[in-house]
Amino acid sequence: MEAFLPVGFLLIFALLLCVGLFTVKRLLGPRNPVSSKLSVYECGVASPEGNARAPFKTSFYLIAVLFLLFDVEAAFFFPWALVYRESLAEGPALLIAMLIYMGLLVLGLVYIFRKDCLKLN
Amino acid sequence: MEWTDLIITAVKTAVIYLGMVQVVPIMLIVERRGAALMQDRPGPNRVGPFGLFQPIADVIKMMMKEVTVPRQVNKALFLLGPFLVLFPASLVIAALPFGDYFTLLGRDYLLQVANIDVGILYVLAIGSLGIYGILFGGWASNNKFSLIGAMRSSSQIISYEIPLGLAACSAVLWYGSFSLREMVYTQEGTFLGILPNWGFFYQPIGFLLFFIAAFAETNRLPFDLPETEAELVAGFHTEYGPMDFGTFFMAEYMNMATMSGLMVAMYFGGWHLPWVSDVTLLQWLGSRNLLAALQVVTVIVKISVFMLMFVWVRWTLPRFRFDQLMRLAWRNLIPIGLINLVITALIMYFRSAQ
Repeated sequence: MEAFLPVGFLLIFALLLCVGLFTVKRLLGPRNPVSSKLSVYECGVASPEGNARAPFKTSFYLIAVLFLLFDVEAAFFFPWALVYRESLAEGPALLIAMLIYMGLLVLGLVYIFRKDCLKLN
Repeated sequence: MEWTDLIITAVKTAVIYLGMVQVVPIMLIVERRGAALMQDRPGPNRVGPFGLFQPIADVIKMMMKEVTVPRQVNKALFLLGPFLVLFPASLVIAALPFGDYFTLLGRDYLLQVANIDVGILYVLAIGSLGIYGILFGGWASNNKFSLIGAMRSSSQIISYEIPLGLAACSAVLWYGSFSLREMVYTQEGTFLGILPNWGFFYQPIGFLLFFIAAFAETNRLPFDLPETEAELVAGFHTEYGPMDFGTFFMAEYMNMATMSGLMVAMYFGGWHLPWVSDVTLLQWLGSRNLLAALQVVTVIVKISVFMLMFVWVRWTLPRFRFDQLMRLAWRNLIPIGLINLVITALIMYFRSAQ
């Protein structure tokens, strides 16, 4: 755990920088709130068209779900990668295991392409 | 741990952190002058000699501008957004190795904030937290441009995290370690007798993947879809004032520096000079601390080359369309990353079988 102690220092410095930037912004900037200044920015439109909190395209949600799947699957490669070099002395067992696992992953990827899940237009 | 130890570690951390923050003003002038050079115009050259004090003027201007918090925003999330981006960007630098070690008061101190044995995982984990800030800021702005920018940004960053992770995974596979420090130690010496023993020569595909993904992760130009000024005004920070914009800006440059530092440590030999081993250098210089200084300079020079590359690419390549960007990540980079992993594993297997 002692190796992570300096990260604690860094955390404190980063917090200090954030707080410092926030106070500087608050103290130095002038304040002159006018109604039109505080309105939504929309190119040349006097009053904004509807609310931004409207239902949104599901394709972004789909990407998040796919990311979750693939990143978790990719995360399983990391411990394997760490022990692979040492395991080579005992034959190709780990290599074959990984190839099978990756085959399943590629099947999933092919399924995504077939279903055209990433269509964003 | 003694008190002197604690104090020296704290000072070392502060120096490294402030050094990384200095990337921002330096890149501010380099980026603007670099852009001017490539577009055949003088660029900012009025403030100070050769316009070198331009960043100071820029920062003062940003500070003195009015702070507006628009009416329609979710105030807490809106104010928190920029700092949620800057905070992880600051923490990530803990894993970057800047040199071997220096000696002070008879003790050795590593030229690195913390010797984290899971360095790569730490960087991937903390580095990806930055999208929360972008997403919060964009959503809380309650503006269509911001919302679309934030959505694009988050889906882009998470999509490119997979090729980034796969490239890093091949590097871990090759070096057999998660620690960036261990990786740099492995890269000493020569490869095939003439080339430096750098990861780039063993993992060229991995490096390219990492390089491309690094541009997307930092929202830099060929992939700066979150803030396409032609269509989204300024993307996720449309509603933000100047200082908040500055905070996002700082985070972006610090992320760029971190990505460059990672590429240097993983693929370009870290603090090692080509063809000269650390032991020989120590004999020439005669002092451990001089060697440490030389190593820090080497790392800084290598990082600077990558930072210049970021500027260069920005003014060379046109911007992608969003669906092209997604197709590049999912259809090209992820399969290439998987293939690279298999090729690396196979090469290692056949090398050990000989």
